[in-house]
Amino acid sequence: MSRLSKKSPSVCTDMPLDNTDICSKLHLLKQILTSCFGPTGRLKQVHNNIGGHVVTTSASSVLLSSVSSSQPFINLIKTSILNHVSRFSDCGLFAAVLCLSLIEQIKKSALRESVAIRVNNYLLALCTSYLQREDCGCRVKLDFCSTQNLITLARSVISSKPACVLTEPETLHISKLAVQAFLLTVPCSSPGIVSFGRIVTVPVEGHSVLSSEVLPGLLVEMPDGLSEEDKPLNPLSVVLFSASLAGDISELGDGVIEAHPDVDTDSQILGQLLELGRQVINDEVKLFMCQKVIHPVLQQYLRSHGVIVVERLGIALMEPLTQLTGAQPVATLHTTIPPKTYGKARDLCIKHFGSKTMLHLFPLGESAICTMILCHRNQTMLNELKVVCQTAEHVLRLTLREPFALVGGGCTETNLAAYVRHKSKSEVPETASVLMCSQTEYLLGVELFCCALESAARALEHDGGSSLIDLTHAHRWMLPADAIKETMEESLGFCGCGLVQSSPSKKWTYLNTKYSDFCPSPVFKDTRVQPRVLDSFTAKLSALQVAVETANLALDVKYIIQDMN
Amino acid sequence: MPPLGHLHMEHVLQAVGVLEAVILRSFGPEGGQVLFTRDTGQAMLSRSGTRILTALHLEHPLARMVVECVWKHSSATGDGSKTFILLLASLLRLIHAAASKESNVSHSYSSTKAAEASTARHLADKLLAFGLKELDELIATGVVPYGGCISWEDFTVEAQTPSLTNNLCVQKLLRSFFHTRCGYTHCDFSSHLTCELLSHWKFKNQLPSFSLQLVSDYFPALHTPVSGFPVRSSRLIEGQVIHRDFATPPLKTDHQPVKAVVLTGSMQPTLLSTGDVILHFSSWMESSLQGIIAKLQTLGVCVLLSAVKQSAAVLALATQAEMCLVECVSEDELSLFSQLTTGSLALSVISKTGINAVLYVHVAFQDSEERITIKPYSLTEETAYRSIAIQPIQKCVLKPGCVLSAGGLFELLLHYALLQHGHSSSVSPDLNIDASVSQLLANALLSVPQKIYSHSPHHFLDLHCCREGDKLSKVSELDLGLESVSCKYQLLLAVLQCVASLLKVDAVLPTHTALHTQSRRLTRTSWEGTEDEGED
Repeated sequence: MSRLSKKSPSVCTDMPLDNTDICSKLHLLKQILTSCFGPTGRLKQVHNNIGGHVVTTSASSVLLSSVSSSQPFINLIKTSILNHVSRFSDCGLFAAVLCLSLIEQIKKSALRESVAIRVNNYLLALCTSYLQREDCGCRVKLDFCSTQNLITLARSVISSKPACVLTEPETLHISKLAVQAFLLTVPCSSPGIVSFGRIVTVPVEGHSVLSSEVLPGLLVEMPDGLSEEDKPLNPLSVVLFSASLAGDISELGDGVIEAHPDVDTDSQILGQLLELGRQVINDEVKLFMCQKVIHPVLQQYLRSHGVIVVERLGIALMEPLTQLTGAQPVATLHTTIPPKTYGKARDLCIKHFGSKTMLHLFPLGESAICTMILCHRNQTMLNELKVVCQTAEHVLRLTLREPFALVGGGCTETNLAAYVRHKSKSEVPETASVLMCSQTEYLLGVELFCCALESAARALEHDGGSSLIDLTHAHRWMLPADAIKETMEESLGFCGCGLVQSSPSKKWTYLNTKYSDFCPSPVFKDTRVQPRVLDSFTAKLSALQVAVETANLALDVKYIIQDMN
Repeated sequence: MPPLGHLHMEHVLQAVGVLEAVILRSFGPEGGQVLFTRDTGQAMLSRSGTRILTALHLEHPLARMVVECVWKHSSATGDGSKTFILLLASLLRLIHAAASKESNVSHSYSSTKAAEASTARHLADKLLAFGLKELDELIATGVVPYGGCISWEDFTVEAQTPSLTNNLCVQKLLRSFFHTRCGYTHCDFSSHLTCELLSHWKFKNQLPSFSLQLVSDYFPALHTPVSGFPVRSSRLIEGQVIHRDFATPPLKTDHQPVKAVVLTGSMQPTLLSTGDVILHFSSWMESSLQGIIAKLQTLGVCVLLSAVKQSAAVLALATQAEMCLVECVSEDELSLFSQLTTGSLALSVISKTGINAVLYVHVAFQDSEERITIKPYSLTEETAYRSIAIQPIQKCVLKPGCVLSAGGLFELLLHYALLQHGHSSSVSPDLNIDASVSQLLANALLSVPQKIYSHSPHHFLDLHCCREGDKLSKVSELDLGLESVSCKYQLLLAVLQCVASLLKVDAVLPTHTALHTQSRRLTRTSWEGTEDEGED
């Protein structure tokens, strides 16, 4: 009772978007995230004030979760983007940059928030229906007969994270491995419901990236006292325990234990464990594995009978192991082990990776379990590489649901902006009345939306160059800062995604200048020209929706009440 | 004894004015959301007036009294808290204006302030008396003819024949409700989803109130929040979603129906009784577990839903017996599950639903009555409205009542009805006071549509015109949904009551209360009296 204190009144902020403090914080967040965007993005070092671990990254998932603000308005936007990243792994920075520039553009203009929200929603629907269309100028259908597009997709994900510090051949090598591992996890010949396999990543520090590899089957820690010679006959019978075999009695729960001075409980339990070992040997099990600890005496007993013993597997390996061997985890120690719980492995061998020695288990039949060994020179880069490979796996998996990709390098953004500009110019009076606003307001809203899209495309450039858009296909082009006006054509080469080549007949304009609207014509489908940069269709579409919806939400917030208790 | 804090009209106006300023930010079609952070650090977005007001943690006793009144009203009707504050503010202003004019004329009181207060008090009492006596009839003659009727039957028919246009009433009612709660952009979508959900929850031989109550009670179990997706990905799923993944490999058999058993405790006996030898105990325990599983197997059970975590031995044995086990299922979900399966113990497919990378167990029921679980996806934590949404339908659907287009039409119609009433009653001299009262109320009511159309004055004019001309054509163009007339009537009465009681207060007595006898000497700082208001 004496600790009871009065509730303090809440802190209120009226019209948060008119508040200079919030606006400057939003601008700062935008600057931080924009500078990280793309393959040439700048890295950020995150470290806390008490001298903790320093993280070097440019990934939105790491950056946003480590940046915390006292301002709930900033946290609202942050949470929204992080939720997207947790579902799709990719396009987090795109969503954040688009959302923040949309808010900033609308705030700078005199457009009423409620009108802006309605116009944004309308234009978002326009964009999503365009991206779903067959004749969409920025969508590429993925062909699963060839791995080329898949590798490009993986490569775009991997190269967009400069914190991995990969050279060109290394990037290609990792992209190929990512695609190989992904293909291994898709089961080929199982009718009915298909369940994916799993990629288990084993990080190895201090080796060249090029020595990374993908292996079918699983790697487990090398048990003590096993040499190359004692290789059992294959296939091997496998037993897998999920209960502890250390002889402890922790599972008994609450109650009073009365120990009789004459009874040696320990030896009784050990006797029971050895009984279990005897049965396993009679059943000709050659590989004995346990999630937890195995009593050393039991280990010794099993080894002396030629059984390979692996303990302390950990919970993470249990599911892949049951999938690989077909064994069911056993947790009963006092009854005979049912024969159907035994699994099988085709073979095992010993593998060396730098300082690590591991036991490699091969599946008996076809299995969707594989192991990816990732090597890199130091811990920080290796961590980033691990995150990137997981992202790539996720992105590749998303293509199975929607076998499309969007052209990358900023071309999708400029193409969308050009399409929206052109499309919204028709039926202006009708649309304006549906959206309950004047025609000028509607056109202003369209302009702001397109500018935000184009600023997301411009954010890819960090070296002082300028971004251009061509007036036929509406793709994005990069002009280096040191390029001379006369030789512009040569210095342009290919567009951002590599689908369009520069030619004398093309016209360009700078991205931040006004141009008369045109309908972007689809690129002639030449099979020889393949896009060089591809983005995940599913992730980018969701990122677009999340960005606009979050911006709308932020624009709709008129008052903030902070509970101070 | 601390000094007496005398309350004047100005203080009351000031306190209510502050509340009005907050509420106005989220009122009407141009209003936005309010972002809260709770003391737990959790953030929440809302446009709900009651939530905004209670989150403010006000200190001013008068403001707290108002919030209390609003809270009572909205818990009774589930709606109208923002209009409450606006009406209250405008009524108080008008009363103040009227009182200060009158008190300048009369000289019988020494202080003009006191004179003002007493005139205001009299006016408020008269308003309340008028409201209680005449308002009912006025609404019946002046407002109801413009409205339409709605009943539960309309709603149930709608599910089967959605083509009938006049049966979309409930959806319209919900639409205006969602509009004022979560903004314009998703109100259509949300109301449609809620409507669909309710239309699927029907029970044979049960009153509609029963299923509405059930949905409202079990809403947390019926609702699966999924973050990271656009709001538009929200959808309904038939059956029940249990918010846990299988602890054992999922069911493989195609046998249908499937039998399930609900466990509330641990299957493994845990207590050692005296005299047990540990080894014997654990082997007995294992064999007894095997016995239970074997028994369940002979009964044909293959799904176990457990409220608690089971031991590794149970998991392993269940896997070997090809049963699937779901652990740590919440009590709400289990009770809903048993409610839905009573009578017919059979249920069909139990499958693993991958709601985009989050795995849940999905139970589909195999009987004629259709039940659907709502599963809204949401960008942020903003979908808690749905449960409150059910309340107003419950209120106005169960008592078949009159509904009217939303967007200030009720206030406008009543405004004219009151003016007319004032004219007619002024003819007879003994009711002369009545006329001024109804005039005052009429003017106060007008402030609501004025606020709604503050950004588009021509719409306000349209609304004025349409009353004279063809009834509702103009208003339906705006399409703001529907409102319940009975809720509005109750709202008016509540506001009048609140005004009367507010003006009766003349002083605040701040008292010092020691919360604990021992802490008395420690505390030099004063604790202000919590809810003590002096009333005369």
